[in-house]
Amino acid sequence: MATLEDSFLADLDELSDNEAELDESDGDDAKKDDEDIDMDMADLETLNYDDLDSVSKLQKSQRYLDIMQKVGEALGKASDESEKGTVLEDDPEYKLIVDCNQLSVDIENEIAIVHNFIRDKYRLKFQELESLVNHPIDYARVVKKIGNETDLTLVDLEGLLPSAIIMVVSVTALTTKGSPLPEDVLQKTLEACDRALNLDSARKKVLDFVESKMGSIAPNLSAIVGSAVAAKLMGTAGGLSALAKMPACNVQVLGHKRKNLAGFSSATSQSRVGYLEQTEIFQSTPPALKSRAGRILAAKSTLAARVDATRGDPSGTNGKALREEIRKKIEKWQEPPPARQPKPLPVPDSEPKKRRGGRRLRKMKERYAVTDMRKLANRMAFGTPEESSLGDGLGEGYGMLGQAGSNRLRISSVPSKLKINPTIAKKLKERNYAGGATTSGLTSSLAFTPVQGIELCNPQQALGLGSGTQSTYFSESGTFSKLKKI
Amino acid sequence: MESVLLPTLTKKEEIDRIINNTIDKVLVLRFGRTSDENCLLLDDILEKSARDVSKFATVALVDVDSDQVQVYVNYFDITLFPSTVFFFNAHHMKLDSGTADHTKWVGKFHEKQDFIDVVEVIFRGAMKGKMIVHCPLPPERIPKYQLLYKDV
Repeated sequence: MATLEDSFLADLDELSDNEAELDESDGDDAKKDDEDIDMDMADLETLNYDDLDSVSKLQKSQRYLDIMQKVGEALGKASDESEKGTVLEDDPEYKLIVDCNQLSVDIENEIAIVHNFIRDKYRLKFQELESLVNHPIDYARVVKKIGNETDLTLVDLEGLLPSAIIMVVSVTALTTKGSPLPEDVLQKTLEACDRALNLDSARKKVLDFVESKMGSIAPNLSAIVGSAVAAKLMGTAGGLSALAKMPACNVQVLGHKRKNLAGFSSATSQSRVGYLEQTEIFQSTPPALKSRAGRILAAKSTLAARVDATRGDPSGTNGKALREEIRKKIEKWQEPPPARQPKPLPVPDSEPKKRRGGRRLRKMKERYAVTDMRKLANRMAFGTPEESSLGDGLGEGYGMLGQAGSNRLRISSVPSKLKINPTIAKKLKERNYAGGATTSGLTSSLAFTPVQGIELCNPQQALGLGSGTQSTYFSESGTFSKLKKI
Repeated sequence: MESVLLPTLTKKEEIDRIINNTIDKVLVLRFGRTSDENCLLLDDILEKSARDVSKFATVALVDVDSDQVQVYVNYFDITLFPSTVFFFNAHHMKLDSGTADHTKWVGKFHEKQDFIDVVEVIFRGAMKGKMIVHCPLPPERIPKYQLLYKDV
């Protein structure tokens, strides 16, 4: 678009302020020939960037004035339903609507250009404002309100911005690097703000007009989403046929505002709906189903727009049917799941038992495993009669145990993995300790018996009872005598 | 909870059909009349557990008052009502529950679980190829009755 190109060239002209732009323009210049550079530089210099009118030409253009006049007239007079021609494209009202759509897109671009202009001028005063307030119209309003003021407590921003943003703006203003603008620059900036606000109101007017005519232009689309949203969608898309050509995923995000909440994370609020958010259907769905509802709304409204673009259904019944379908689907999503029926029992022995293995099972099995001693005792030598505990084949056989050359009659020093009763374990420990260096001072290897008097070897020890004097209180392997659970 | 009523059989052909058609499932036939209180209690338990054992058993009721089924009543020697007879693949399964008569189960079950246990034991035994199984219930849960032999 002509005006956009001009604006880009105008941006390139800003050599003095921004070094980044300096590099950009240098890069651009390097691509051109030497002669062209002189010519272009001359052209750029003639563009007086200080003047608003050279940047934003739309409001002065004839086309704009014509359409605005017609819109004003049409809004004033009552619409005549019977004036619809057989072919829509010949209908003057339809032509006006098409023009209005195109114009609304143009106005939006124009607003963007003016926003850039304001931003560049106001950067000297308050650089951070452009990142805090994203929306161009809000920015223009805020700039107008603040003006050349340094102290933001004197400025009342209520109603223009959400309070959180106002707070952030006030705080940032205290530490801003900017300085108040000179008088003429300030004048130009305020003029540009006014221009932006005028453009915005003009756009609103155009959209209102389109909305009022929406019932006759796009009956199916307005049956689903309502005439206001339909007008907005058409306005942003740039016409009914443009809207019909868009895929549904694009329609879903038409008009999506970027809500940059000044430092807050945008990971949680991932709502991908634009103007469709304002439809009655979307508002009335529960929050959990909103994303699905947005998707189905976009899909069905795209279908309706396509029907309308080809004028396939002037009465709007198709749209009503689609709306009913959407409503039914949303209701179905909200149904509770069917109640669970108790399952019948499985057939006995149909599922084989799952035997588990692994280290834990192996460790458990080791405790009851056959020991080496027992293995040797089970094995017998060929040709030689087995020794047995009671002799002559009576009693338990010893097998290979205790044969000459093998030293396996004694208990091996490797701690056995077999499970031993704790009381028996304690007694074994006592017995082993009795010969140790660190025995208790009260143990004695003498025993006093009524029959023999003093005995040097303790017969009770062989029986495993220990001497009567063997104290348990001072025992090495003793435990607490009294345990009480607290 | 849905209460699908158990099929009630009144004709001989129906009984024949159901015995022949139940393949690889235990067939439980209850012989009794709906006016009897014990019978109603037994029917209640049968209905409640019919769905649970549906994968390996079928339950059906036989009305003993109809004349066509008297053949079966005499064949199985059913004198006390309700009586339950078990089949598997058209074989008559016997159940040793400590009573005199092993060919049938006389009386009601104490609980739903008892019935399910009996059916499971019958199924297991039948799958192994046995013709008579031992009842898993403790003796206090087994209804006692006196068998009259030729009215003595």
